[in-house]
Amino acid sequence: MKRKTFIGFVAPSVILMVALLIIPLVVAIALGFQSFTYLTLNARKFVGLENYQSILLDSRFWQAVRFTFLIIVIVTPLEMIIGSIVALLLDQIPKGRRGIFVSLCLTTYVSVPIVAAYMFRGLFQSDGLGTWIIEQVTGQHLIMNEFAVKMLILAYGVWRDTPFVIIIVFAGLQSLSLEYLDAAAIDGANRLQQIRHVTIPHLAPLLMLIAMIVIMAKYQLFDAIFVLTGMNPIYHADTIMAYNWRTAMELEQLGKANAMSILTVGGLMIVLIPFLVRTWRSQTRER
Amino acid sequence: MLPVKNPFGRFVIYLTLTIYVSITSLPFLWTVLQSLKNLRQANARPPLFIFKPTFESYTSLWFRTVPKDLPWLMLGFVVVNLAIIVSARAMARRDASRLAIVMLVLVSYYLLFWAIPQIVKTADFYDFFVNTVIVTVGTVIIAVSVSSLGGYALARYGGISGAMILIVALAFQSLPVMAFALPYFQLATVTGLQDSYVLLIMVLVGLHQPFALWMLRSFFMDIPQEIEEAAMVDGASRLTAFVRILIPIMWPGIVSTGLLVALGAYHEFLLVRVLTQLRWTLPVAITKYIGTVYSSINTVPYAAAVCVTVPLLILVLFFQEQLVKGLSSGAVKG
Repeated sequence: MKRKTFIGFVAPSVILMVALLIIPLVVAIALGFQSFTYLTLNARKFVGLENYQSILLDSRFWQAVRFTFLIIVIVTPLEMIIGSIVALLLDQIPKGRRGIFVSLCLTTYVSVPIVAAYMFRGLFQSDGLGTWIIEQVTGQHLIMNEFAVKMLILAYGVWRDTPFVIIIVFAGLQSLSLEYLDAAAIDGANRLQQIRHVTIPHLAPLLMLIAMIVIMAKYQLFDAIFVLTGMNPIYHADTIMAYNWRTAMELEQLGKANAMSILTVGGLMIVLIPFLVRTWRSQTRER
Repeated sequence: MLPVKNPFGRFVIYLTLTIYVSITSLPFLWTVLQSLKNLRQANARPPLFIFKPTFESYTSLWFRTVPKDLPWLMLGFVVVNLAIIVSARAMARRDASRLAIVMLVLVSYYLLFWAIPQIVKTADFYDFFVNTVIVTVGTVIIAVSVSSLGGYALARYGGISGAMILIVALAFQSLPVMAFALPYFQLATVTGLQDSYVLLIMVLVGLHQPFALWMLRSFFMDIPQEIEEAAMVDGASRLTAFVRILIPIMWPGIVSTGLLVALGAYHEFLLVRVLTQLRWTLPVAITKYIGTVYSSINTVPYAAAVCVTVPLLILVLFFQEQLVKGLSSGAVKG
């Protein structure tokens, strides 16, 4: 393709990206150095690095960071393990019978996060089935305190995102030729050894990629927090994104909120840049 | 894993899968059950599983005054839907152009959504539903058309600038929405576009277009270059070759991409919440119904949750294969 035609074809995409992603990000960086509220949108005051300073000294921000990382550290491995096991089992049953299982997994994955969180919460409301079961087992009233809400957030994460892992790992398994496994079996490897030495190495790059996607999604977790805590500060269950929201929408410190977004983007870049560099290399090598 | 042969092992596999799937679908099933109860039944201890269902929560969700001949109207609604689907299928079988089919479906639904409030008194949930449909469809159409042009060019062009565009797209695709929400808010006040469909569609296109670009590019790369070259030797311009030859071949890929973009637009909460005062889409609207405490004042929010999820169930029912394909290729290649 000639350069001129190329420019003609990509121009709309590039214009959209510049106007709707790059310029807003630059604006966010600029706003991060200013101080303003909704009432003073057009009377902003330049304050330099003051917003960043106030974020780094804000104990509630660090609490949010800690809780976000707690979610990542606990939920990601659980999702990956449960998801891979279910995918391996799903691979075992004949094609005709998989449909229903895949549909149900897919349903959970495509459900709207806000609504899914509400449905999950529904089980543990005062009229919920989960509440009743817990009360029957423990003999105590279920009180939604900080601990209970945090556990609910973790459980929600595992429930909602495991199907994503299942679907992708399952698709990855379809590309694994049975011949390798046959060869391993003939050499006397038992089932666990086959998984350990054939299946896992085959899936390793894919698993890494899934882990990265899952971690980045958890890092930006917001919708579920909104529903499961109702943004009530007594639960101390803000994630970074939720605290960012609180700063913007409830405390109305818009400059500080913008600065916090920029810090979040910076944090994400630590994970993203090695990945981007690798993609860049593979893209330029093809050419 | 090699197939497990012994019957006990197979039994354990089915059992485990069934248990997993039941736990996964439990919140949905419970919500459906609760939505069919009145408040007293919903709060009953032990929980009721067998009861006389009532559709009160659904009717009060959708209607300001409940029409008397509701069952007939519902039947009429289903018939009109079926008629649209059947005629679209008939057109597809006669090899009508994809564009014509899409236009037919869009126009008929536009008329349908316009006609419903003329016939019955709908509640505001209906307006939110229509908002969501407009925003989602608008986002999909614009994002997919722009990025199929771009994705095609990126698949066929070897220069370094192509790689740069792709990397920028990949980086921006993973950034948190919050970083853009406040600048968009600022932008909306400056341009006077607050609370409009145009603003919502524009920002949602902006957010999802990089992803669509990557995905469509990977689909275009699977199509051999000779196909459009043959058409161009016959005298067609590149654009004609693209529209007439490549789009029909690419259609499954375009559907997969469109579905995932639609999901993204349909799911969006944070951005819509920040940028709208009244033109809410369903995820924002539903937070108005559900309240923030761990108890229920009525069963309407359960019905709302079911109604938001049903369109997605239909999507899964009709497009399961494309969704799985889209999800896995989106993850693997993007």
